[in-house]
Amino acid sequence: MLPFIDEIMRYDSLSIVGLEKNTGKTECLKYVLDRLPVQQKRIAVTSIGIDGETVDQVTRTQKPEIVLREGMYFGTSEMHYRQRRLVSELIDVSDENTSLGRVVTAKALTTGKILLSGPSSASSLRRWMNEMRRLDIDLVIIDGALSRMSSASPAVSQSMILATGAAYSANLATLVSKTTHVVDLVNLELTSEDNIQRLMPLERGLWFIDGEGDLHSLDAMSSLSKDIRFEGMDDCKTLYVAGALVDNFLEKVRKNKSLKQVELVVRDFTKIFVTPQQFRLFIKAGGRIRVMQKSKLIAVTVNPTSPSGYVLDSDTLCNRLSEAIQLPVYDLLKTN
Amino acid sequence: MQLKNVIDSPCGLRFMLDELELQSGFARRWLLDSPMMTGDEEIAASYGVLHRFTDFIDRVEKTHIDTLLFKLQGLKDIRTTILNLTQNAVLDDIELFEVKHLAILSTDVAKILRQHDMDGVVKIPALDEVINILDPDGLKIATFYIYDSYCAQLKDLRIQMRQNPDQQDDLLLQASELEEGVRKDLSGQLHPFATAIEQAQIALAQIDVYLAKAKQMKLMGLTFPTISSDGTSRYMSMFNPQVKDALAAHGRSFQPVDISYGMQPTLITGANMGGKTVVLKTLTMCQLLFQFGFGIPAASAQIAVKDEIYFCIGDEQSLEKGLSSFAAEMKNIDAVIKASRKNKKLLALIDEPARTTNPTEGAALVSALLKVLTGCGVSLVMTTHYDIEPGEARCLRVKGFENGEMDYQLVEVQDGEVPHEALNIAQSLGIDGEWINMARNLLESCPVT
Repeated sequence: MLPFIDEIMRYDSLSIVGLEKNTGKTECLKYVLDRLPVQQKRIAVTSIGIDGETVDQVTRTQKPEIVLREGMYFGTSEMHYRQRRLVSELIDVSDENTSLGRVVTAKALTTGKILLSGPSSASSLRRWMNEMRRLDIDLVIIDGALSRMSSASPAVSQSMILATGAAYSANLATLVSKTTHVVDLVNLELTSEDNIQRLMPLERGLWFIDGEGDLHSLDAMSSLSKDIRFEGMDDCKTLYVAGALVDNFLEKVRKNKSLKQVELVVRDFTKIFVTPQQFRLFIKAGGRIRVMQKSKLIAVTVNPTSPSGYVLDSDTLCNRLSEAIQLPVYDLLKTN
Repeated sequence: MQLKNVIDSPCGLRFMLDELELQSGFARRWLLDSPMMTGDEEIAASYGVLHRFTDFIDRVEKTHIDTLLFKLQGLKDIRTTILNLTQNAVLDDIELFEVKHLAILSTDVAKILRQHDMDGVVKIPALDEVINILDPDGLKIATFYIYDSYCAQLKDLRIQMRQNPDQQDDLLLQASELEEGVRKDLSGQLHPFATAIEQAQIALAQIDVYLAKAKQMKLMGLTFPTISSDGTSRYMSMFNPQVKDALAAHGRSFQPVDISYGMQPTLITGANMGGKTVVLKTLTMCQLLFQFGFGIPAASAQIAVKDEIYFCIGDEQSLEKGLSSFAAEMKNIDAVIKASRKNKKLLALIDEPARTTNPTEGAALVSALLKVLTGCGVSLVMTTHYDIEPGEARCLRVKGFENGEMDYQLVEVQDGEVPHEALNIAQSLGIDGEWINMARNLLESCPVT
């Protein structure tokens, strides 16, 4: 058994995040589900993607159903529940509607196949996870698409596995550098507990906390706004971007002398849409970015095959990437 | 008229609804769909039940209340499922689950209420038979699937599935036919209970609403009204919870107001910023709260039941309809006059009518309105700044600006003469002195009455 299965069991939740379609996220999920000790632990699995087709519309590759083992709990949409190929016991039907109907929670009574499509908003994912806690679930697994279509973030989980591969970039060096960038973002440190308490409820806009600890709102909708001015912010200690963090904004902060010492806070790594270049320049200039929720990155998995058929050398990829990110990297198909 | 039709009335009713701590979305929808009560007995009965719930909250331990509230969070809107059941459709697993969930929930809620001497306060139909149909193994938990015990053959197939996973697809196909047969059978057995299930769902929504109203009464210091039989409504220390909250946020307090009005028209005059509009809004809100069975924001209240309630506020522009503020106001008041000819008990609360037009025609319009609406079954409460002949109307006046402070109390006066305090008030607001003094000089050289 690969070491990360043991490590997964140390946390109450795991998200599996694919950096691109066909990077082997589903393979990774299958791999984990096949190896978890179902007899001893109560395990629940859901997906925060909302794409519902069995065949991936973009690449025409087969989007496999997940095989659940007897005793596992799962959350999926009404539509996919009706198409299930296993015997299962219904436990809850949520009030919230997704594009595929309400989210249904059930327990598998036989082994069998199911398409997963769970909560699609941050609040409904939180509610679903709380519901799982109420059911005494030991481990919640989130099939975490990095999608702008869904506001639910995989960063709510305690631990995380990233799936990357040739589909993300078919050039080895580029793949390693792009993946390293994401790993850097996932590993950003948490801001102070006090900041989390105060900033978490603010879901939009730009905010800053001054030396006195007072919270102020910036006169801008988001970091995308054109004419953001940092006036009267000489005493700014913390600058909070509730929505997406983008290149232009990061550059402005970096070039503003009065914001040299500022701690830039975002909700979690999924809100950061900056290029590796801008990110590196910011860090090099002494800038700090902190998050309000983060997951412990357990491992990275790779799929060396791109959907177009191009194949990278598995060993070289694993070694190069592992060296760059200082974490174990696995090619699950090969390990299998 | 349903609550949802008046929820956004400019009187501020929405605030009370927003502050209502309902546990389920279904209860909120049910409340918004509920019709306004217009019968004395109906209103009295509703407050009778609310009394039982405020008493229940007072005497029962908080943990029991919290358990009940937590249970009510599980109330779902399953009207589509109930409709399918009524129409003899075959329910699917999710629908059967919903029915079982509701049946167990309503039985649990009924049990908690029974334990605390609340049996039958809101009638919940017994659904034990429904639970029995959907719980063949007597597990008493609100989960559901087509249980093995429904069909021996199905049980065999499932054993085979676990033994031969490679034949799963084929076995599932065979099982699905048997399952469909079970669903058909279960739906047939449940069909006669459709009405009882529907009633149980509504009963739970009612309980949720009564509990929320009872909690709101305690939280906001609201009172139980009595029903007035002489057509006169009387409020002691009436307050506006929204304005009270807003003032409290700035460290200020709300000055409650005593007011009564009957079938004789009531004319309220008084200085600007004297709270006339707030009084009118609050009176409207209280009347609506009363006829939807909520607690009333006052120390005591005796309220007459009305068939229809009209609240006309002058600055309500009707942009969608492309009407100016004057046109919109005229249309609103026109509706009151038309309704007054239908021999119904009306309450009309009109805020400064015709204020946006010239004072000569404005005053004439207001005087005439007072006459038109006198003696035709309309309880009229109207505010104005115009000096008009009160006729048969009772005149109330805001005490006004005294020693640099506003006294919001209403006092009865013999005539409708309006106070001339606008310039003093403007001055106290720190408005440009050149402007105000020039106005004062103009008044002195050419006094206007």
